[in-house]
Amino acid sequence: MKCKVCKKKAVVSLPSHNAAFCPECYDKFYMKQVSEGIRKRKLLERDDKILVALSGGKDSLSLMYALAELGYNVTGLHIDLGIPNSSEKARSVIEDFCSEHGFKLIVSEMEKEGLPMPLVKKHIRRPICSVCGKVKRHYFNKVALEHDFTALATGHNLDDEVARLFANTLRWDQSYLSDQGPLLPAENGFAKKVKPLFRLTEFENANFAFLKGIPYHHLPCPYSGGASFTGHKMLWRDLEFKSPGTKRAFYEGFLDRGAPAFAAFHEKKGVEVVPCTECGCPTSAGVCGVCRIKSQLNEALEEEK
Amino acid sequence: MVEVRLEPRGKEITFTKLNTVLQLLNKLELRHTDVLVIRDGELLTQDCRIEKDDKIIVRNVMSVG
Ligand SMILES: [Zn+2]
Ligand SMILES: [Zn+2]
Repeated sequence: MKCKVCKKKAVVSLPSHNAAFCPECYDKFYMKQVSEGIRKRKLLERDDKILVALSGGKDSLSLMYALAELGYNVTGLHIDLGIPNSSEKARSVIEDFCSEHGFKLIVSEMEKEGLPMPLVKKHIRRPICSVCGKVKRHYFNKVALEHDFTALATGHNLDDEVARLFANTLRWDQSYLSDQGPLLPAENGFAKKVKPLFRLTEFENANFAFLKGIPYHHLPCPYSGGASFTGHKMLWRDLEFKSPGTKRAFYEGFLDRGAPAFAAFHEKKGVEVVPCTECGCPTSAGVCGVCRIKSQLNEALEEEK
Repeated sequence: MVEVRLEPRGKEITFTKLNTVLQLLNKLELRHTDVLVIRDGELLTQDCRIEKDDKIIVRNVMSVG
């Protein structure tokens, strides 16, 4: 196969773009997808101070690399969950990556915050993945606000976005459909959230990370049960195979024609947001969800003594 | 013998003869956008020929968990 642009030997072929690329032209293609996505959906300003959530996987590391390459002011944030074996591996991948490229990195340790995931899993009677997600989002926002970052960027890719949009569509969940997309503007004490890789698939990110020599970790979370992909992702894999480009068209069509309709229809109720009385993070209750989990955990540990 | 290592599980399989990457993917019941196919540190497209003593890595790109 030959590169569509320069006719050299291709290393990546992309049916959805009806194209194949050599390493140099793939780099240009990838960077253009990121920069055009940012420009078209007005995700970032040139002077944004960006906090990039780093999990250690291919998507978040590729995102950090690409944003830095485009000249943005970026700092990494890693949430160390304190899971034996797994967390140390993820963290060292990120620390090596940041020191190699001279990227600033903040690590937030859940052990020190009194929320190590093994104890949360043991004592909090709720699905661990949802609690863990809540804890991560809480600290992303907390660190962003404490250090005056103007944007929080995550490595969500087109596959993640389509899977979520599809699930929300199956339920016609007006509330979720009204604010799904690659941009959530700053409001009510929350930093602006952006997903600059929303036009790129997992396959495209994996190729980019490989060609840039970015070592990433690809170990499943030991608590997730290792389910490799959901039924919805499987359906989309087949759809995309039969008609390449469907995924992108579905998502971008929603952003252009679906999202505005839902946003107009779904009048946001004026939920009053106040600082949490424990930690100061914005919440609609007196004490925020994460502080409540913390105190539940402390109570459980006291009882155990 | 063509040696194929499946990542991230680390499973190894061998094939006596393979002609192309596409044939390998078909045998593994994979679509080409499910995995990176790597030989000697380089990425292979579906049409690439596979030689009899090749060592190949097939790395899943789906995020797990
Ligand atoms: Zn080229
Ligand atoms: Zn709080």
